[in-house]
Amino acid sequence: MNIFFLLIIILFSGALLSFVSNRIVPKISGIISFLIISLVSILFFSQVNIGETFQFILGEIPMQYGVTPYTYIFAIIVLGLGTLAAMYSIEYMKDKDRLGYFYSNFLLTILGMLGIVFSQDFISLFIFWEIMTWSSYLLVIYNGYNSRNVGMKYMIFSAIGAYAMLTAIVSIKANYGTYTIAEAIQNGAFNFSEHMYIPIMLLVGFAVKAALMPLHVWAPNAYSKSPMSFTSIFSGAMSKMGILGIGLVLASAYSYSNNDDTTNYITALRYTLGWLGGITAVMATIYALIQTDAKKLLAYSSVAQLGYIIVGLSTGTELGVMAALFLAVVHGIFKGALFMVVGAIEKQVGTTDMTKISGLIRKMPFTFFVALVSIIALAGVPPLGGFVGKWMLYEALITESNNYFLIIVIFFSSTAAFLYSYRFLFGLFLGQEEKETEHVTEAPITMIIPMMILAILLIVTGAFPGILFEPISHGMHNLGFSDVNWSMSVLVNVWGEESNMTYINLSIGIVFVVIFAFLTIKGYKGTKNVGTKDISTGGEIPTENENLTFQLDFFKPFERAAAPLYKRSMDKIWNDLGNAIDSLSDFMRKIYSGNGQTYALFVVIFLVILLLFKDTLFAN
Amino acid sequence: MVISPIHYIFVPLVAAFAIPLLSKLNKELPRIIPGIVLFYNIIISFVLMQEVNEVGYISEVIAGWRAPIGINLIITPFSGFLVSLISVLGFLIWLYGFRFKKVIDDGELRSYNILQMMMITGAIGIIITGDIFNLFVFLEIVAITAVSLTSFYRGRDGAEAGFKYLLIGGFASAMILLAILILYTQVGTLNMAEIAERMHTVPTGIKSTILILFIVGFGIEAELFPLNGWAPDAYSQAPGPTSTAFAGIVVKAGVYGLIRIIFTLFDIEGAYDFLIIAGLITMIIAEAAALKQTNLKRMLAYSSIGQMGLALIAFGIGTKEAVFAAMFLLLNHAIIKSLLFMTGSILMYNSKEKTISSLHGIAKRLPFISILFAIGAFAIVGLPPFSGFWSKLYILSAAADKEMIFLIVTILAVSVIEIIYYFRVVSKLYFAEGTTNVEVYKPKINAKISMLILGIAIFVIGFYPDLVTGYLHNAADILLDKASYIQYVLNTDSTIQ
Amino acid sequence: MQEQFNEIFIKYHEIITIGVYGTAIALMLIGLYAILMKKNLVKIVIGLTILDAGIHLLFVGIGYIQNGTAPIFSPGYENSADRMVDPVPQALVLTAIIIGFAVTAVALSLVIRLYKHHNTAKIDQIKHLKW
Repeated sequence: MNIFFLLIIILFSGALLSFVSNRIVPKISGIISFLIISLVSILFFSQVNIGETFQFILGEIPMQYGVTPYTYIFAIIVLGLGTLAAMYSIEYMKDKDRLGYFYSNFLLTILGMLGIVFSQDFISLFIFWEIMTWSSYLLVIYNGYNSRNVGMKYMIFSAIGAYAMLTAIVSIKANYGTYTIAEAIQNGAFNFSEHMYIPIMLLVGFAVKAALMPLHVWAPNAYSKSPMSFTSIFSGAMSKMGILGIGLVLASAYSYSNNDDTTNYITALRYTLGWLGGITAVMATIYALIQTDAKKLLAYSSVAQLGYIIVGLSTGTELGVMAALFLAVVHGIFKGALFMVVGAIEKQVGTTDMTKISGLIRKMPFTFFVALVSIIALAGVPPLGGFVGKWMLYEALITESNNYFLIIVIFFSSTAAFLYSYRFLFGLFLGQEEKETEHVTEAPITMIIPMMILAILLIVTGAFPGILFEPISHGMHNLGFSDVNWSMSVLVNVWGEESNMTYINLSIGIVFVVIFAFLTIKGYKGTKNVGTKDISTGGEIPTENENLTFQLDFFKPFERAAAPLYKRSMDKIWNDLGNAIDSLSDFMRKIYSGNGQTYALFVVIFLVILLLFKDTLFAN
Repeated sequence: MVISPIHYIFVPLVAAFAIPLLSKLNKELPRIIPGIVLFYNIIISFVLMQEVNEVGYISEVIAGWRAPIGINLIITPFSGFLVSLISVLGFLIWLYGFRFKKVIDDGELRSYNILQMMMITGAIGIIITGDIFNLFVFLEIVAITAVSLTSFYRGRDGAEAGFKYLLIGGFASAMILLAILILYTQVGTLNMAEIAERMHTVPTGIKSTILILFIVGFGIEAELFPLNGWAPDAYSQAPGPTSTAFAGIVVKAGVYGLIRIIFTLFDIEGAYDFLIIAGLITMIIAEAAALKQTNLKRMLAYSSIGQMGLALIAFGIGTKEAVFAAMFLLLNHAIIKSLLFMTGSILMYNSKEKTISSLHGIAKRLPFISILFAIGAFAIVGLPPFSGFWSKLYILSAAADKEMIFLIVTILAVSVIEIIYYFRVVSKLYFAEGTTNVEVYKPKINAKISMLILGIAIFVIGFYPDLVTGYLHNAADILLDKASYIQYVLNTDSTIQ
Repeated sequence: MQEQFNEIFIKYHEIITIGVYGTAIALMLIGLYAILMKKNLVKIVIGLTILDAGIHLLFVGIGYIQNGTAPIFSPGYENSADRMVDPVPQALVLTAIIIGFAVTAVALSLVIRLYKHHNTAKIDQIKHLKW
């Protein structure tokens, strides 16, 4: 029995077991699923050899399983985040009902993602993709939202994407004779010279999951309305599956540069993707700015970060792709951590509306620490991992791409990202404490541990990004890129200059410590401890009950300035399309008017029409 | 041969006549006898299916007159497979409806069981006959029993649905009769093999007229658009086991009749393209109409019509791969739709108006049924790893082989619509706020076993479709091979390619 | 008697053939008209019956051979196999008549039930099941 079948069987039986066991011993499903995912991770990382393939036939289709160095990167994200999220959700989900349903679908989602990682033929890829899709849909509607806006929208978009992929897959088989990914690439499936719709449809399918404009409208609602322990892998890992696919298609497309036509098409594709990624980043960021619910803010921010990653992929250069993949991994880590943070707050406080809570730093210090680290990484500030990725991205864009407008767009969006990062931190943790939150305690330990692990990972990858560079560069080799010159903490760019991450981080760290020390020591004598309520505004002394934290309309000036941008919404277009189909369907069903004679009339009319046109229809 | 195919007809007929007599002895007998008969059907069909897979054809003539004078029954791998499927489904439907509560007095019990059994027998007869008038007779048996069963309940709507079915069904039989008539004047024989052999002597104009009459006639049973006005009403008003039988059995016989006519009897190329277009229109309109339905069984009926449209598209593509895919779709649809109708009927049992809103949140109280319904919904939409995925994949792959990209995109667009309305029901089943005072009907063990068997079948075929693909490939090959059919039946060398 | 009949038949056989076919087709069209145009349920059922009758008549008429005799081997006609009217259509029509009779019976019982429930026998009032 080979390892892949074993993993599939373990996960499937785990799902079944979780579902059933919840009726017998309540609350045990969480522990079971955590154990199963840990088992799977251990097995995967110990038993699977990269490059080993396993072939078999199912449904008369030759299938192939195997892990390539490229997909190994994503395996790390999926299994790592999966295990941590499973540990986290034991406590998070403790008081909710239908646990069996939750955990079985959780395991199935992990199965789907893992399957995508080790599929080497399109049919297996599609099968696991769909398993991932429907099990995640079942989790998105877990909280009871299936109004058109949340669950159904997600399912429809996923389905459209998946079916676009399916069209491409069957066309690949028809035109290039094989289902296996490697063989299809060899036979020229992605070279854009003929049958251009094939790679484009594949890209559409992957782009839905990666929340690329204009297919991103499902993401903000779906991310924010699902249970938070699921959203950490939803946003952290599942969106990376889309990135996996896009990276694969693009890399294969880049490797064909035989004739001019192909190169032109590919350049056009790169520009389009770059622009779409850039627009996604900007629009999502400015929508994130006006959110008052922390969950939605994070959701929009996820979409924006994915935009960066796609921009990186679209540059087509080694540095850019490396930046994109690095950002993908780091984003998985910090987004997973952030959603866990928000989940912890939700569980302890009861709401995540930033206008209603503030000042949690006193009560939930560990959570605050994780949030702080993650936000720093998100904003791209040294000395953490996000900075490394952003640095590489900027460098790639500036030095190797001529697309200056895109550079401006990305810079703008990154800066604005800083704004909402601060909002998140400030809105939830800093400021004056609310009266209602005084009973709040720190989150339970099994929720803290995963978050801390992720935070520590962020710090480590910030100082020593080489840890991640190694598997990523193997992956890139596998895709056909040559290497970016790197070592454990040094990057060499196009002009041969070294950017030594350790020096950068060290220097910034030192500066920070010096300033902190300076302020503390210098000001020590002249400072005294005051409560947060000991202030006066304009001569008035506020009462105990008034909360002076600035929470509402946080970015009102910005909102006013950017008002025209908010008016155009992709959402409206899709909604109109949906309404159009609705009325079409209504029209169709009125055909069945209920009058039996009318039906008989249809029959006769049909007969007459056929008889009239029988020569054209049935000419032998 | 080991068992003669005549048993399919003979045994149920005898049982049907015996039931009224025997029911004087024991009131419960009418319930049990069909079960025995249908189980016997299963046994002989598996025996025959084995045999026909090796031999290729099994033929049996009735009353000693050799073909082509006499009426012969013929089993090909395709028909053998369909008959086995129908037998198994028939038995499962009987098992499901065994303690059917709404049948009150003895007369009703007798008639219900006799009619149900005869309907299944009629469907089997359509499939195994080799004589075209015999086909007509069995079609009429199916039509009359189906109409009677549709209007079984004494309520108002059953009669309305039954009348519409009868009206249009009567039309269908008139068309078919007329077609047989004209055909007879041209070829002088009623035996299908001989008709196939002599078809090239018929002038084209008349040939296409006959074909059109047949298409309209069988299309009504196969629920082609615009001939399917009766179908949503009939499916939604019939008793639970009967609508299951409609979806799983009767419509298959209609499709089989249509396919036999087009593939075996006629040799007109344009018919294949016509099938594709007609199937496509049927599918689009049916699925679009399903989107706005509030009555669950009606929605399932429209979905069934749509799937049959898809099957006709696949048959119309015409290559070996496509025909194989179409057969696979028929198999999957029979299993999945039967499961959906069975679970759907139980879910709707206590609701007065039978609307979907009455099953909000009912999953808490009927978890087993809801899971099975959800599995059926996922399977019919074509999601892996359930069986429906493979049939859709094969159909699309066959279409791609012939460069029919537009067709692929349309089929998949319609699939998205299917996802919408099925998932809407599933999510309402689990998560919507429901009334807690609606009494739910908890099914007994017999119904549960039937549904469980179907659910397991969905999983098994989904995980390991190779179980059935080999057999179906053989069946597809033989369907397309006209010459050997003619040769076998008539024991002559045929000149048809 | 037979000879006299045959004489008349041979003289006018074209007209008679056209008459038979024409009547059959006319019956079919009348039946069709009744099914599609008449609102009363009973009339529709009658229309269906007439349609069937027309088809049956057509069927029988087609089987006729000129100068033919009944397809029965009876004394005096043993060697008349090649002059027999085609028996197949007659058998088919017999079956079809019986089927039509069954259909009519079921249809009328449905009409009665429909009338009981809706208090009307007009088909366009009976459309509770729609869309």
